[in-house]
Amino acid sequence: MFLALKEMARAKVRFALLVAAIALLVFLILFQQSLQNGLITGFIGAIRNQSAPVLVYSVDGQRTVQGSIITPELDAQVRAAPGVGEIGPIGQGTFTGQPVAGDGDTYDTSLFGYELGPEGEGLGHPTTLIEGRLPTADFEGVASDADVDLGYGVGDVITLLPGDLEITIVGVAEDVQLNVSPTIFTSYDTYIAAVQSRNPDAGTPLPNVLAVSPAEGTTPDQLVTSINDQSLELDALTREDAAADTPGVAQVQQSFNIIFLLYGLVVPCVTGLFFLIITFQKANSLTLLRAIGAPARRLVASLLIQVVIIVGLGLIVGTLLYLPLTGRNIGGLQLRFETGAVIFWSVLLMSLGVLSSLVAARRVLRIDPIEATTGAGVSVGR
Amino acid sequence: MSTTHAANSTVTGNALELADVRKVYTLGDGSEIVALDDATLTLASDEIIALVGPSGSGKTTLCSIAGGILSATSGSIVVGGEDISGHNARQLTTFRQEKVGFVFQSVNLVPFLTARENLLVVDELGRRTGAPARERADQLLDELGLADRAKNLPAQLSGGQRQRVAIGRALMNDPALVLFDEPTSALDTKLGEQVMELIRQEMKTRGTAAIVVTHDERITHYCDRSVHIVDGALRD
Amino acid sequence: MKLALTELRRRPSRFATATVILTLIAILLMFLGGLLDGLINSSVGALRVQQADAIVYDSTAQASFVRSRIDPELRATVEAVPGVTEVGGLGLVQVGARVPGNGPRELAGVALFGYEIAPSGVPDPPPDGQAYADDVLKTDGVEVGMTIELGPARTPVEIIGFVSDTSYSGQGALWASPTTWRDTLAANRPGAQVADGVFQALVVQGDVDDLPAVIDAATDGRTESFTVQEAVDAIPGVEQQRSTFGQIIGVTVAIALVVIALFFALLTVERTALYGVLKALGARSSSIFAGLVLQAVVVTLIAAVVAGTLVVVLDRVIPAGSVPLDVSVSRIISSAALLLVAAVVGCSFSLRRVLRVDPASAIGSGT
Repeated sequence: MFLALKEMARAKVRFALLVAAIALLVFLILFQQSLQNGLITGFIGAIRNQSAPVLVYSVDGQRTVQGSIITPELDAQVRAAPGVGEIGPIGQGTFTGQPVAGDGDTYDTSLFGYELGPEGEGLGHPTTLIEGRLPTADFEGVASDADVDLGYGVGDVITLLPGDLEITIVGVAEDVQLNVSPTIFTSYDTYIAAVQSRNPDAGTPLPNVLAVSPAEGTTPDQLVTSINDQSLELDALTREDAAADTPGVAQVQQSFNIIFLLYGLVVPCVTGLFFLIITFQKANSLTLLRAIGAPARRLVASLLIQVVIIVGLGLIVGTLLYLPLTGRNIGGLQLRFETGAVIFWSVLLMSLGVLSSLVAARRVLRIDPIEATTGAGVSVGR
Repeated sequence: MSTTHAANSTVTGNALELADVRKVYTLGDGSEIVALDDATLTLASDEIIALVGPSGSGKTTLCSIAGGILSATSGSIVVGGEDISGHNARQLTTFRQEKVGFVFQSVNLVPFLTARENLLVVDELGRRTGAPARERADQLLDELGLADRAKNLPAQLSGGQRQRVAIGRALMNDPALVLFDEPTSALDTKLGEQVMELIRQEMKTRGTAAIVVTHDERITHYCDRSVHIVDGALRD
Repeated sequence: MKLALTELRRRPSRFATATVILTLIAILLMFLGGLLDGLINSSVGALRVQQADAIVYDSTAQASFVRSRIDPELRATVEAVPGVTEVGGLGLVQVGARVPGNGPRELAGVALFGYEIAPSGVPDPPPDGQAYADDVLKTDGVEVGMTIELGPARTPVEIIGFVSDTSYSGQGALWASPTTWRDTLAANRPGAQVADGVFQALVVQGDVDDLPAVIDAATDGRTESFTVQEAVDAIPGVEQQRSTFGQIIGVTVAIALVVIALFFALLTVERTALYGVLKALGARSSSIFAGLVLQAVVVTLIAAVVAGTLVVVLDRVIPAGSVPLDVSVSRIISSAALLLVAAVVGCSFSLRRVLRVDPASAIGSGT
């Protein structure tokens, strides 16, 4: 322990640079982890956090709510499927929303209209309410927590342009965005009114998606199969599948996986390289120590202590750099402090760091104390 | 081969003139160490002297100052007609390139360069004359009996051969003064004598002056005279 | 300097591990850059190729096709603006296409544009019922001469040719006459259908400075006009992607800098004795340092070349569509350039130590 600390104190710049490299890597990894989670939640939070266990799209919708349309024929086919409990329409559209209390700024706003039912708890209602209440009448809505600062908080009024339709926010739910835009859960009739206020040429719009709950004794998976069997035009999915299969989500995950793999590799490489080099550099003093009786175990332990201290410091500094970013809103993405990710990466990187230094440890173990007496000589360069 | 020693043209023609050279180190607590105490020494242009003294006597300090590697605290140093007493670091660097040759105790060849390339290092660092330097290097290697070892790395050479490469390197820039630091300390008697023979021959053929730092009394007879140094003070 | 290169040549293993790490970082930089390019290209291609001095939306649309609507009267106002030479309409509908040979639930996402003024690289509008397809749709099995069916209404469209780099919103574009577009819209999105003469955006050519502002002034603020570049930047997500990726890339370059600084600091410590000898022989600190920088540059270049090759291979190996990667030569070169800057700056951490090496240290172990 004494040796380990003394050496680090003597070569502060070098060890500091290593800590800096690891800290920056940790920071980037954690930041991107938050980015990934925020992105995915921003895309499909509304789907994941609404109450219907099964969602039915039209195949032409390609698993996007906005692309799907349920015609009366499709509706009839769904109703006829065995195992169906309750059915409710879902209407989705993207509008230009202007918070009344704001500076006149406008935002792409997604409306998610569902049949309110008693107390606003109809099929498709948001399940993660954290403030206020569910809508119980037309022109009331629940917004996502990520957008409260934009003017979508409880009590705020949003005007939809160009028709000047107004919606009052009565509640806020966690992570209910769609397509990384401010999203408002509202009554189905409000949705229809919004569509008509924007495009007078349109008649009564058809629902985009049907929210379905299974009957007693049927599981959501069974219901999905039952509905899909009705027609090739129907695309029924469980709530989880609907979220995961939304186009773009898989792409985001795969892209980030490659990124994490690469960054993750850099950490043990840099750590391993560093400790291998300094082991070579102090070969003479190590040999001397062995010659005067220091057990090899102790030298290796000293090395491992340094690795743990350095990687640990890097993890701490990196996490501290990451902390101020969490809670920030980057372009509509809510970044959170992902405790799970911090723990996962801390354990992983520490293990990788220790593993990588085993190469240096092996070198230490191979030192033959007899070399101290032959005095191989300080030849230039090594 | 005797080239005119253009670098050595002075009124007196001496290779080295040290006058009252002092080197004093001040420690952190204010106390002083006198490494060299009013050293005065003159070397003729083709003289070889042995500088003899125990460890810690200041002989390395004297060599370092004469070679322009270390600045003196006070005193005058003239090497090959050039007064280096007041030179700044850059001037000293150029001076070392052109006027001085070193053969270090631990040889210090560049480990990844061949024997020939080691000789050419000085030319690379300084004037970069190109072909003339290469010719000179080949000639020196030949004289030193290393012609067939020109392409070998130091690791592939024996101790004595490395020593000879170092001597060749020291002579490449046709210096006014060559400083040998304990050239025989790592060698056995026979090899040591061979090396000293070689040194004397090379110096005398070229008429180059040399200081051989040593505590080995066996080799002093290869030099023209011996100068003794104890605790920073010179005695003849 | 030559010394530095000779060392690299004769002692490659010493530099090998650092080169491997730098290659990893270079791959990261190029991959991130390629990802950014891929994401943006697939979002904005169709807009970027428009031959326009101004793209005009209605002012409530927030530069979104979906919400914009330009009726004939507004268009006439724009056409009457002095300096305007040509005005063409642009309309978009995004649907799933059934391609012969694919399964019943395997639809290809397409962005059908109805256009009047041909964008760069696209021929003039084809006859009704026909369309040019972006070549990314080839991976969905689309071929020339094939008739594909659009949307739930299965509106038939015959593919008569391919064009490149015209994706929009992650989907390949189809370029067709305004009538084809309107018919498709009405049949498949009755809620969004538009009357004859109505478009979602206008493509305007003119010879007046700052045409977008001139148009908006002439329409009394009922339109919001942009240059092509501005319209591209206004597409939702583009700015964010650029800035977020930019920051991530920036921090990665900083990491490269620190790694290089670290590695060369370690190397310098090892070579202190050598530097002492060189200085004693008359080497100036500047030339020693220059040699160091040269080594860093060479190592970085090697890493960049290897990484560039690997990234190109990676691009081929990754199944099309699974990761939006666009590997371009300019991105590879710019990543390499960033790394080189990091290399040179990283080296400077060792400058002080090189300066401090005392030539006197070369002389003997005894005093």
